[in-house]
Amino acid sequence: MTREKKAVQQIRRRLLTVFFFTVLLMAALVFRLGWIQFVMAEELQSKAWEQWNRSIPARSSRGDIFDANGNLLAGSASVETVVAIPPQINDPLFTARALAPVLDMTEERIIELITQERAAVYLKRRVDEDVSREVRLLGLSGISFTLEPKRYYPNANLFSQLLGFVGTDQGWAGLEIFYEEELEGQDGSLIFPTDNKGREIPGVRSFVPPREGKDLYLTVDETIQFIVERELSRAMVEYKPKRAMALAVNPQTGEVLAAASKPDFDPNRYNEYNKEYWRLFPVTDTFEPGSTLKLITLSAALEENLFPAAAHLECTGSIQVAGRTVRCWTSDRGGHGRITYAESVYHSCNISFIYLGQELGAETLFKYFRAFGLGSATGVDYPGEGQGQLFRPDQIGPLELATSSFGQGISVTPMQQVMAVSAFANGGYLMRPYFVKEIIDREGSTVFRQEPKVIRQVTSEETAKNVARLMEGTVVEGSGANAAIEGYRVAGKTGTAQKVSGGSYVPGEYVLSFIGFAPADDPQVLLYVAVDGAQRGPQWGSQVSAPLFNVIMKDVLSYLEIPPDHLPEEENLEAARLVDVPDLSGLSIDEAGALLDNKGLLVRLVGEEGLIMAQQPQAGTQVPVQSRIMLYLDDLFAGDELESVKVPDLQGMTIKEVGEILAYIGLKMEKEGSGIVFEQEPAPGTRVSQGSSIMVHFSSPLN
Amino acid sequence: MGKAPAEGEAKKSPDYAIFFTVLILAGFGLVMVFSASYISALESRGDAFFFLRRQAFWLVLGLVGMLTASRFDYWKWRKLLPLLLFSNFLLLLLVFVPEIGVEVNEARRWIGIGGFNIQPAEFTKLVVIIFSAAFLSKARLNIKDFWSSSFIPLAVMGASFFLILLQPDLGTALALAMVALVIVFAAGTPLKHFIAFLSAGVPLAVYLMISEPYRLQRLFSYRDPWADPLRSGYQIIQSLYALGPGGLFGVGLGRSKQKLYYLPEPQNDFIFAIVGEELGFLGALTVILLFFILVWRGFKVSLQAPDTFGNLMAAGITAMVAIQMLINIGVVTGSIPITGINLPLISAGGSSLFFTLVAMGILMNISKHASP
Repeated sequence: MTREKKAVQQIRRRLLTVFFFTVLLMAALVFRLGWIQFVMAEELQSKAWEQWNRSIPARSSRGDIFDANGNLLAGSASVETVVAIPPQINDPLFTARALAPVLDMTEERIIELITQERAAVYLKRRVDEDVSREVRLLGLSGISFTLEPKRYYPNANLFSQLLGFVGTDQGWAGLEIFYEEELEGQDGSLIFPTDNKGREIPGVRSFVPPREGKDLYLTVDETIQFIVERELSRAMVEYKPKRAMALAVNPQTGEVLAAASKPDFDPNRYNEYNKEYWRLFPVTDTFEPGSTLKLITLSAALEENLFPAAAHLECTGSIQVAGRTVRCWTSDRGGHGRITYAESVYHSCNISFIYLGQELGAETLFKYFRAFGLGSATGVDYPGEGQGQLFRPDQIGPLELATSSFGQGISVTPMQQVMAVSAFANGGYLMRPYFVKEIIDREGSTVFRQEPKVIRQVTSEETAKNVARLMEGTVVEGSGANAAIEGYRVAGKTGTAQKVSGGSYVPGEYVLSFIGFAPADDPQVLLYVAVDGAQRGPQWGSQVSAPLFNVIMKDVLSYLEIPPDHLPEEENLEAARLVDVPDLSGLSIDEAGALLDNKGLLVRLVGEEGLIMAQQPQAGTQVPVQSRIMLYLDDLFAGDELESVKVPDLQGMTIKEVGEILAYIGLKMEKEGSGIVFEQEPAPGTRVSQGSSIMVHFSSPLN
Repeated sequence: MGKAPAEGEAKKSPDYAIFFTVLILAGFGLVMVFSASYISALESRGDAFFFLRRQAFWLVLGLVGMLTASRFDYWKWRKLLPLLLFSNFLLLLLVFVPEIGVEVNEARRWIGIGGFNIQPAEFTKLVVIIFSAAFLSKARLNIKDFWSSSFIPLAVMGASFFLILLQPDLGTALALAMVALVIVFAAGTPLKHFIAFLSAGVPLAVYLMISEPYRLQRLFSYRDPWADPLRSGYQIIQSLYALGPGGLFGVGLGRSKQKLYYLPEPQNDFIFAIVGEELGFLGALTVILLFFILVWRGFKVSLQAPDTFGNLMAAGITAMVAIQMLINIGVVTGSIPITGINLPLISAGGSSLFFTLVAMGILMNISKHASP
């Protein structure tokens, strides 16, 4: 019985043990449950909320970009994107095979995309209409479309580098990226509760409205830009340079009127172009300024009362500085000779500016360079602005001082030059340039307006006027004669800078520039043009960039309806504006160029090399200024065969010019189209017998 | 106390606390099964009341079984043992016979009889409890000899265990093993035997848990369900997404969001999550408290039973309910790895409800014979 009793006691103990542990575990579960429902509740609730609620995006649209007159430059439209719904695709191989040629993708890539374990994947975004039509015709299951915004640029290449473009979902270049925050909209959403099959269930709906992008109104003018780009394109054909560029600003305010460089691209198809052409060179790239920098040295000398305008100096073509020979660009023909300082500005004499620089001293000269904004960004609203480089104070020896004073050995952006020269046009103020004048939201209210901003006064009004007057003289009787415009007072300055690459000058490669403004007494437009690395034609700014400036400025002044500031008297006009054609036969191209420059005549070279064999019109003829003088080089007829002639390169010439030239050398023209020469047959350099026909194809420079 | 009371001895009234607690839990289960299932039942079967009707049918049948069992003197179960054991193994084998066994989700756990599916493993639990209690009450005096006492019920359990494992239904098999172990423990098996058996059995259980890759994943995902939120961690995450938003008072009866296809088959193993979501911590705590009352009264019956057979049978039945409830709520709260065990009396499932109610009837009958 004791054994029986012991067994019973044992069972009771064991039962109580089991009961105790059961209750303990129950208590633990209650604690765990409380932990989940109180401590973890908030986190779980928010995660569960995300799961229960789906959102449908409410698409916003990107802001548009307009020019100063409200012309649309960049807008947005909806285009279709091809979407795959993997769970609905039963035969990925078949689907991929059918789509590959239509979408221009590899089968492997498509299979990779459509076999992902996702509800939907983008196959190809923003396709053309004919592509989406073809995809529809295939009728594949699991292939669908969605609308996405696409940026379009109605003017194609016009303004391309300024505007930039929108890549996948955001601005990638130009103003499109600089003003991304303002332009981009923010998608809103409609949020509603659903079951796990995605069906809406009763509950709280919430709507977050989309925030639309804002519109940009620029300072640039579509018409001025068109004039500028048309002439740059023409220059690209005529001189075959690496690049050509132009900047036009209102010098009073710093508003940019036009900004362009060539080659450019079509932002609608940006990926088909070299990335190099996406940026606006006059803002992003730095060049040696060349003679245009002399204007700053000049203003410093005037401001410091160190410019003896009427005093004489002797330019022999070169000068010794710190044991090195520094040359004037006229050294080949023995220098400018005995000239006044004022004339040295008109004829862009290097030697006189070396003297001025020495008078000023390095510290003062570089103080003026920096005051004019050289070596620091202008603050223009464009991404990737270049800063340029000045010598550091400890680097400046006598040689550096000498070269800097006439614009060698330092680098600046065209934008910096434009703003520096604007100071001479507006009475001495360095302005901050800008592209965006106003930002307006979708409700029509202005959220931002750029007012003209003075960075600092850099010279007195008096000095600015004096510099402007000397610039005017350059155009009237100096190296800028080819920029002169009938009826207007134009102030200007040529610049010819050798290109620097890897620290040394590249022989034969020049940046030919011209900067100037008009009307000189009340400047409305300041224009900078540059032709970089011309492969054809003369290599002086006076013969390339000055005429380019001239045609653009003439059209811009007339477009802006700026009245001529003096009406030339009828009887005086003929006499005053006619010049004698000098005798150029037997001269070199350089010698002839110098003679023609000073008379305000333009060079048209026929042939490739050698001395001048003939000219047209003949010596002694009276012609209006800025007429083109055809110079025939002696390689045209050189060779053994008599009666044969080398076909000249006619590219970029007008019908009238081609007619004159071909008649003169005894060839016939078969013409086609109109505009300027784009193609010719036979090719330049081919020898043909006299009397042969040359097939010449003309076309508009903008096509 | 050692001997069975003689027939015709004065009977007391049964423990009504057990009766009413069971009624409340089963009734509450009916409501929750309907709440959790009506939407999916309406959409997939065109009948919102499909699960409710089935559950109600088994509840009525189970209540009849419970009342019958409460009037059936518990010691008479001994006499039925040969029949019970035979039908147990027959049913467990019939599961594998084509045309008779019913396969759902690659598992053969059911036998189809006239439109109803019976889950023999639920019957097995009861049979193993009765057999173990009967055998050990006889062998209680030589309990120190493992091979002639404790080993025998463990062997019967083990045979059933492997047949259930083949279905496969690891959860039910493990629950069965635990119930048998509780009885063997309660019977007074020397602890060294017990430990020796466990040290053989636990590695086996661990091996079984990790032998199937999906079980291994479940093991890991219970530590961090968010590591694989769409596969192995999915159910735990969805369960927590039900409990968390439930808070103190719940979102209201019938207003669960998780039952809208987020939590799969919410009327079955995860019904407690819906309770926590709709009725909050207070509702869930009430359910746990009702189970506590049941377990408390069950052990009380066990302690007061007039003989060892009654002691052990009452303990086994109580342990069966307690173990399943602990595992189920442990899984739903992400406290232990997922094992497919339903919540007794509450989850949808006819066989489980029926045999649990019959077991409750037996418990009530034992309570009638309580010796103070």
